[in-house]
This record gives sequence, structure tokens and C-alpha cells, in this order.
Amino acid sequence: MAEIRDPHEDILFAPIEHSGPGFYWAVAGLSVLILWGAIAYMVQYTQGLGVTGLHQPVGWGFYVTNFVFFIGISHAGTLISAILRLSKAEWRRPITRMAEVITCMVIFIGAGQILVDLGRPDRMMNVLRHGRYQSPLLWDATSISAYLTASLTYLYLPMIPDIAILRDRLGKRKLLYSVLALGWTGTEHQQKVLNRAIAIMAVLVIPIAISVHSVVSFVFSMTLQPAWHSTIFGPYFVVGAIFSGIAGLIVTMIIFRKAYGLQYYLKPIHFRYLGQLLLIMALLWFYFTFAEYLTGYYGAEPEEMKVFWAKFSGPFWPFFWSMVLCNFVIPLLCLTSLKQHTVGKVLIASLAIIIGMWLERFIIVVPTLSFPRLPFPHGVYAPTWVEWGETAGSLGLFALFYLLFTKFFPIISIWEIREGRENSVKEVEERILSYLPGEVEEKT
Amino acid sequence: MEHPPEVSQQLVRRLQWLWLGGAFLLVGGIIVWIIHLIVASWRLDDVIQASVGISIVAIPIFLVFIGVVFYVFWGVALHGGKRED
Repeated sequence: MAEIRDPHEDILFAPIEHSGPGFYWAVAGLSVLILWGAIAYMVQYTQGLGVTGLHQPVGWGFYVTNFVFFIGISHAGTLISAILRLSKAEWRRPITRMAEVITCMVIFIGAGQILVDLGRPDRMMNVLRHGRYQSPLLWDATSISAYLTASLTYLYLPMIPDIAILRDRLGKRKLLYSVLALGWTGTEHQQKVLNRAIAIMAVLVIPIAISVHSVVSFVFSMTLQPAWHSTIFGPYFVVGAIFSGIAGLIVTMIIFRKAYGLQYYLKPIHFRYLGQLLLIMALLWFYFTFAEYLTGYYGAEPEEMKVFWAKFSGPFWPFFWSMVLCNFVIPLLCLTSLKQHTVGKVLIASLAIIIGMWLERFIIVVPTLSFPRLPFPHGVYAPTWVEWGETAGSLGLFALFYLLFTKFFPIISIWEIREGRENSVKEVEERILSYLPGEVEEKT
Repeated sequence: MEHPPEVSQQLVRRLQWLWLGGAFLLVGGIIVWIIHLIVASWRLDDVIQASVGISIVAIPIFLVFIGVVFYVFWGVALHGGKRED
């Protein structure tokens, strides 16, 4: 069957074929952030963690907040893509690649936060050599390794046909594309093998993604610290991860839609559907937050109440109420009606959620350590320029990796769009007809 | 217009095997590390059930990953066949 070639397809190759001044400006801007992060890390490495705001009793601050936040954002990709793929949501086609790339990039950045937090990164070898599986930290290391491996595989497999297109179309990087395309020519056998492999990975990746953020939550909830020891922390973290992941995906989509002129592929309807998903997640997040704090308040355990009031009206109140504003009030106002100004409203809600979810992670990590159960003196955490630099550098590194990826591979899956045009319209029609009342073909 | 030089198919195939070897090395390394943790906990008599319990879940997952990658390599690169247009 002849492929239906999209007349607008050239726009997907344009970023790979040439780079405009915008690209170089973006790289320069991100390099400044990365340089700030690198200098901050060098200072911390040579002088120790004393240059940060991390002191007893608050030993976890920005770095662990960033770790939880970035691992949460990583749920954007693989999990959302796998769910949309398995549920045969046809509108997923221009979105999945962007989502999967976020996951792979951000896991590296998230896991790197732990190395930065160590102060002595050489001691990482002790975890490898003398690790103990009784520690939830080791559960984290294992599940993140599994998620990273799964995500890389799940990103790579659907890219094979597109890499083959690049191999045949572009005059440059021929060796790279030839190796990665695995000799793909689009035979029936190859398509069958690839579709089966993608389906296996899509099924496998969902429980792994859920396990990752559950295990991240166990690092907190397995302790007896006030406001951490909670049975709903696992699902609460997973909901927050998917919530922030969708927001991260939307922001990325809007940036690249504007930068690469992808309006033809990323339409308001995609943002409307993602906005509706975001609204559902906002309500779910509020439900979990309400249940979590109400249970703590009703129990009124003295140590728990110190942390509770520190968040509601104590030193952490600006962060707590900003979190509620960003994660619930603004999304609710923006997303309840998406008939007009869809992209703008979804963007505002997503930016608010990204800020709100970072604050949520901060609000979980720091107040409990400031008011510990053990009889330590209470502590205040104030990050120094080193932590701000590391955070800026991490964000810069993520954005730079992402940008460079778009210079090597198409950010929208070309073959999936072609497949959608060729087969899906008929397939969806047949599927809808099969839902409607009519004669039933029994298959036993 | 100048055409870029064609790449050697032999070199491509060698690099593809190298790529597959790298994937096996990564997953194999993780599995060896997990087994090392079991051995360490057994040697130290340090709640071996935790190590074994987690390994029972983790190791097969990594084996499935590498199985899928090998299946794709086998099905696409080695036995993909030629396209008839």
C-alpha cells in the first residue's frame, strides 16, 4: 500500500536539517544556567555541604525536593504515552514522542540530584558495594533503574521507523541513523515484530512507573517522622507525579509548537483533551491532599500537629497556601471551560501546577525535618546560592538535552501520523460501529 | 550536488551488534549487582528475605526488557526480510 505522505511533513524535518539563530541563542542561555550549576557544584564539592543551607536537623532541602519533583515529571512520558497507546486514544499520535523524551531526560536529572545531595559522590560506590535491601533507598535505586531501562527501550522502539526515514532522506549522520534503524524497511514482518514489542513494553511500563513513585514515597513514609508516616503516600505521590507530568508535557508541547511551528500537528483539541485530564488530576490531587491533612489533624498527635501548624500558619504558610493556589484554585479557574483561548488557559494552568507541585514536594520534605520527632532543636532551612545554582543548572541541563534531541530525531512521530492517516480512520469507524447496537458476531 | 559517501554495511552491522552488546552489558550489570546484594545479605545474615523478595520481582523484569530488545533485533535487523513494492 502506498504511504500517504503529509504535505506538511517537511516541517518535522526542518529542525534536524538546519538550525536557526534561535537555536544558538537558546543553547547560549541554557549554557549560562548550566555554568552556574557547575560552579555551584564545584564549590560544594571542594568545600563540602557546609556551603549549602543543609544543616541539622534539616539534612534534606532543595536537592531531595528536586529529586522527587523531577522523578514525578518523568511520569509525563512513558506512563501517559503507554496509557494513551493501550487505550487506543488516536489523538495521542503527535504527543507520545514528546512525552517519552521528557521521561528519559528527566530521570537522569532526577537521579543526579541524589549524587549532588551526597556531598561526597565517591561514597555512591558504598551503595553499590554494601547496599542493603532493607532500605527503601535501595528500592528506589532498583525501581529507578528499571524505569530508566524501560523508558529508554520504550522511547527507542517506536523511533525505529522514523530513524529509517531519516537514514533514507537526510544526507548527514548516515552511519548513526543506519545503525539505529536496524535495517528497517517497513516489511510486514518487521511491523509485526515492532508492534508486538511496543505493546509488551506499554503493558510493562505502567506498573513500573507506578512502582517508581510509590517507592519514592516509601523513602518518607517508612519512617516514623511526623507527617511522613502515612499509608496513602504511595498513591498520593503517584497522583502528584502524573499531575505534574501532564503539566510538564503541556508546557513542552507549547514551547516546541511555537518554536518549530507545529500548529498543524499540535492542535487546540490536543490541549483541550490534556487540559481535561489535568482538571481531573487537579481534583484527584485535592482529594488526596484533603484526606492526608484531615487524617493528621483529626488524630491530633502532638508531634504531627507541630508540622501541621507550621504548614498552615507557621513559617511555611506562604509555601503551603501558594501550593493550594497553584495546584487547585488556578487550574480550576482555567480548566473548567476550555471552549475559547484553550492553549493560553492550559498553559497558565500548567505553569501554575509545575510551580505548585515543586512547592508540594518542598512542603513534604522540609517542614517535617524542621520539626523532627526526636528531641533535636528545631531548625530553619534557607537555601544558599549553591542550591539555587544547582536547581537552575538541572533545569538548564534538562532543557538543553531536550533541545539537542530535537536536532537529531523528529519530535513528532512521523510514521505514527502516517499510520493514523492510512489505517486509523477506518479502524476507528469499525470500532465505533462495534460499540453500537447491532448483530453480534460471537467469537469463542 | 555532492552525494555523501555510502556507509559500509559491514561496519553498520558490527556497530549494531556492539549496541546490542551494550544493552546486554547494562542489564547484565544490574542483575549481577542485585545478586551481589543477595550474597552480601546472606553472608552477613542480614534479612536475606528482603533481598530475595525484591530480586524475585526485579530480575525477571530486567530479563523481559532485554528479551524484548533482543526480539526486536532478531526480528527487525536479522530476519526483517526485504520489502516488496
